[in-house]
Amino acid sequence: MLFSRRLMLGLAMVSALAVPAMAEGPTEIDLFFPVPVDGKLARDMGTMIKEFNETHSAIKATAVYTGSYDDTLIKTRAAIKAGKPPAAVIMSANFLLDMQIENELTNLDALIKADGTTKEQFLGQFFPALQGNAVINRSVYGVPFHNSTPLLYINADKAKEAGLDPNKPPQTWAELTDWAKKLTKRDGDKVTQWGIAIPCAYDYCGWMMETLTMSNGGRYYNEEFGGEVYYDTPSMLGALTWWNDLVYKHKVHAPGATPGPAVSTSFISGNAAMMMLSTGSLTYVRDNAKFNYRVAFIPRNVRNAVPIGGASLIVPAGLEADKQKAAWTLIKWMTSPEKSGWWSRATGYFAPNMAAYKTPEMLDFLNKNPDAKTAVEQLDVAKPWFATYKTVPVRKNLEDEVMLVLNGKKQPKEALIAAQKAADETLKPYNAETSLKLP
Amino acid sequence: MTLIDRLWKDAPLATRNEITPKLGFVLTVLLALVWLIPFLWMGVATLRPPSDGINLMAELMPSLTPTLDNIRDAWEIGDFPRYTLNTTIICAGILLVQFVTITLAGFAFARLAFAGKTLIFYLFLMQLMLVPVLLIVPNLTLVAQLGLYDTLTGVMMPFFASAFGTFLIRQAFEAIPTELEDAALIDGAGLFQRIRHIYVPLSMPSFSAFAIISVTSHWNDFLWPLMVINSPDKRPLTVGLSVFTATAEGTQAWGTIAAGTLMVIAPLLITFLIFQKRFISSFVTSGIK
Repeated sequence: MLFSRRLMLGLAMVSALAVPAMAEGPTEIDLFFPVPVDGKLARDMGTMIKEFNETHSAIKATAVYTGSYDDTLIKTRAAIKAGKPPAAVIMSANFLLDMQIENELTNLDALIKADGTTKEQFLGQFFPALQGNAVINRSVYGVPFHNSTPLLYINADKAKEAGLDPNKPPQTWAELTDWAKKLTKRDGDKVTQWGIAIPCAYDYCGWMMETLTMSNGGRYYNEEFGGEVYYDTPSMLGALTWWNDLVYKHKVHAPGATPGPAVSTSFISGNAAMMMLSTGSLTYVRDNAKFNYRVAFIPRNVRNAVPIGGASLIVPAGLEADKQKAAWTLIKWMTSPEKSGWWSRATGYFAPNMAAYKTPEMLDFLNKNPDAKTAVEQLDVAKPWFATYKTVPVRKNLEDEVMLVLNGKKQPKEALIAAQKAADETLKPYNAETSLKLP
Repeated sequence: MTLIDRLWKDAPLATRNEITPKLGFVLTVLLALVWLIPFLWMGVATLRPPSDGINLMAELMPSLTPTLDNIRDAWEIGDFPRYTLNTTIICAGILLVQFVTITLAGFAFARLAFAGKTLIFYLFLMQLMLVPVLLIVPNLTLVAQLGLYDTLTGVMMPFFASAFGTFLIRQAFEAIPTELEDAALIDGAGLFQRIRHIYVPLSMPSFSAFAIISVTSHWNDFLWPLMVINSPDKRPLTVGLSVFTATAEGTQAWGTIAAGTLMVIAPLLITFLIFQKRFISSFVTSGIK
């Protein structure tokens, strides 16, 4: 009987594939990593892990690529629930609080103590601005790995052409609006060159809203408590109204919500003369810009302030002790001055470890590429990235509304009222367990 | 008009001089061209040298100095032969098991009488309304408990039974006259022989239609394999490709992405072109010729 013979063959094939590899000898650990910049970095990560394995014979680490930051969170959570947690994950820095609330993280205090250092000494290696997203309730839950701040990128050639001095970049929203007007070129009703481009897609949009709100004196969320966001406030209304005005009143910013890659593409192609984008794109701009460019601080309306971005290394909950120890060894190695400096030069992210900037390779690199200093200097005014209970859905509550505004379908005020209402609904279960749980 | 006339020779005689079907035909050609544009762009972008710069990236006009650099780049970033093999194993494995399960289940729902048949059938159909993302965690937990985490079998497992396939085959089997089965019964054929020699051959169009739908959907599946697979050598094409498309704060090398995408869809595209006639007819025909 042909039919059953085929079936047997199929079953034989299936069972042959189901043999898992057995581990012997070194402790085998998995590191989940997203690729936040272009794909060649996946190879760089492979190189890094290979070097780690060659220098640590007792551990065999495997780098597992896990998609975008949001996908990495989904995969990590699913793996934890399935009882197969990875040993370490490069996790978007603003997901840590949410994971800690759900008891998905290992508290790193004990591991730090076992090394004979104090928490203060350990955290002291990193820029102060980064500590807010790594420390929860005075315990360490993450180790900063690669970080960013948003920057203003300026096409210096086009600025000169428009009679502006690229060495004196705009410092306030008023100056920036003026620059954008002067840098917009029109051919009748058609715009041939936009003055400025600001990205808005899931993940990026929330980060840019936090950036603008902070420059406007505001706070996106309650830094001390994961159950509150401040969407319906004067500072955020001012920020969104200004963004909306750039599009529909001054007509110096293309209408619609533009994803990050499209923003950098239009900057590189000369279609947009300025852009606000992460320092993580700096290497790409440096390699591809056929013109002189400058990077500058994000202009202020009320004060200079930006959120940090990027990712931290975390250890999921529920690991065996030997894997946990191996993961800790890997994390310390990856965040050492040398390695984090090397990764920074490869990506454009800045190195969170302050000592990285004292290594000869880095000093040499900064001499050749002074633009890499701007993000580090901006750290003086940087603050933590928003992190709440259910960070991603709460972020999307705002992003969906902002996209409607940029697409000309809603006015800022009503959009923010709707976003606040939706976010309050998303945060409700957590508040019911905490702030509204009364004796 | 000669082109249209040449394409027109298969049209039924009665409508050959009418204008309306011709309009419809022209509209179809236009739609096909619109559908082709992304594919054309992909081909053009793949062969465009990076030195052309980003400004020409959106152009449909091919570069005068085509290059294979992008293909080589994409080829080096990912282990494409390996990814293609994995994807093929996943799709073929799922399809083989599905054929067995949907044939038997379809037959049971079409021809057997048992208690609660209608209720069970509707429960079966309810599966179609579940969002797959909803099942990721329970499915992954089960796969891990079965010891199939990070195996290709683990990727295939949740799809071995298909509600849609069962429904399709049930409809096909129901359309087959019972007289044929009765004749086989008189000749002394057993249950499985009747299924094999009467039901399955007569429902071939439905089987091939289902095969197309099953293979294309699992070929393109990204999130579930991403959840199950850790080892780089077990990645399917979609996960391998996303290494250089899913970027958060960075930027994209369009030429490399186009080349990678081309490699992912090429096997499917070629298969479709070879079996085109058969595919189209299997969607159109049903029942007995």
